Amino acid sequence: MSDKRVAQLIVDELMEAPPSSAVSLQMSIDHYLEVLRGVLDLFASKKEADVIYVTSTISFDAIKRVLEALDINTSRVFFVDCISHMTMGASSGHMDDHTTLVESPTMLENVMLKVEYLIRLSDASEKIVVLDSINSLAIHNNNWILSEFLHILVSGLRARNVYTIILSVEEHSTPEINNMVNLVCDHGIRTNPKEE
Amino acid sequence: MVHRSGDRERCGTGIEGLDTVLYGGIPRSNTVLLTGSCGTGKTSLALEFLIHGALNGENSLFVSVTENSEKMLANIIPYNFFEESLVKSGKLVLVDLPVMYERLGMTKAELTMEEIDLLVAAIASLVRELGTKRLVIDSITSVCYKLKTSEKIRDFILKLSKALSDVDCTSILVSEMSAQASSYSMFGVEEAISDGIVLMANMERRGDLLRTLQVIKMRGTMHSRAKYVLDLTPEGVLLAPLLKGGSAGT
Ligand SMILES: Nc1ncnc2c1ncn2[C@@H]1O[C@H](COP(=O)(O)OP(=O)(O)O)[C@@H](O)[C@H]1O
Ligand SMILES: [Mg+2]
Repeated sequence: MSDKRVAQLIVDELMEAPPSSAVSLQMSIDHYLEVLRGVLDLFASKKEADVIYVTSTISFDAIKRVLEALDINTSRVFFVDCISHMTMGASSGHMDDHTTLVESPTMLENVMLKVEYLIRLSDASEKIVVLDSINSLAIHNNNWILSEFLHILVSGLRARNVYTIILSVEEHSTPEINNMVNLVCDHGIRTNPKEE
Repeated sequence: MVHRSGDRERCGTGIEGLDTVLYGGIPRSNTVLLTGSCGTGKTSLALEFLIHGALNGENSLFVSVTENSEKMLANIIPYNFFEESLVKSGKLVLVDLPVMYERLGMTKAELTMEEIDLLVAAIASLVRELGTKRLVIDSITSVCYKLKTSEKIRDFILKLSKALSDVDCTSILVSEMSAQASSYSMFGVEEAISDGIVLMANMERRGDLLRTLQVIKMRGTMHSRAKYVLDLTPEGVLLAPLLKGGSAGT
């Protein structure tokens, strides 16, 4: 599929999911930028939503630079960064009021708490939580705790009418991880919709 | 914030996670021991309990024992929901216990039985005069140091709880303990005679340090006994369940 179409396909699919859905978005690694464009630019701006972006893959700094390069407005994107503190220490990056750090991606409870905090601060009527990605969280956590985390996080967000998007990378995923995600999601999107 | 569930009226703490754990809040007029080692968030939580009460129109009183109360207020987490007007209007009153000791002429290091009665009467009359519905004493441990014997501590806390519950005041007694303690309070007496125990702690899990909160006991209500992970934020205390997959380990 051409890259441009990927972003559009994601938006079309996301628009179909009812509010407070949990969506599994499985991408091919080559489609990462288009996924960011589709979710953060097209979808979030169409919904006029605040986005709470949980990253355990690359630092919020790096994602911000990517978004700026893609010409995507980041004024409504808030980051929960679980990786910078671990890799670079407390003084990592240029902290701002759009970013909160979690000390380590193993502190999953604190991820929930920071998400909750940012949801409380947001006055947007629509809110989207993006989890980037389940595979990088799986590097640091066992499947038991990760699965428990997903259940509690998603059911809490559902109850608050928040839209959840769980990113997974096809090349890095396992059947166990896919199962775990499918168990909490009511909608699935793949950027490479060929064979299973 | 006043809930009715079961037969006891509730005093909602205003801390969403904690009220859920308590099925609606602290049963009204209970005296609760909020205990934990230094830096676990006791003062922050206790103050939040008072601010929510004051915002809800309930007169609230903070009795500071070790620290100057104004200094405490200046150093505590700047809560987004705090309003200066609560203090100005007298909805939230801060009192320093050393000032009370002085007025009562209690200058010695150890209080006598008679002085204990005087102190309880002084606090009770202040509570009546102010129409206090929520009280925090931070910390009760510092008062206990002036009492010395378990007998006097028991006598003081029992009389105080009785006086406070007689006027329908819901109270949090902050208790300091060491992180390694095997009981829930410094003298071991405080915990036995309070209506509830809320334990705050630091928990290490494979190198991560988590702040936790657990309701050990609460008379007059059902409650979860599970451990929760806590975050102190400008939006107040937030709670999330401690994930069990972590302690099971795989
Ligand atoms: N102004 C503040 N901003 C952010 N965090 C704070 C602030 N004040 C206190 N804290 C945090 O709250 C923690 C607990 O404080 P406190 O409630 O005084 O604990 P305790 O009374 O149990 O000793 C402190 O160690 C600190 O990490
Ligand atoms: Mg304190």
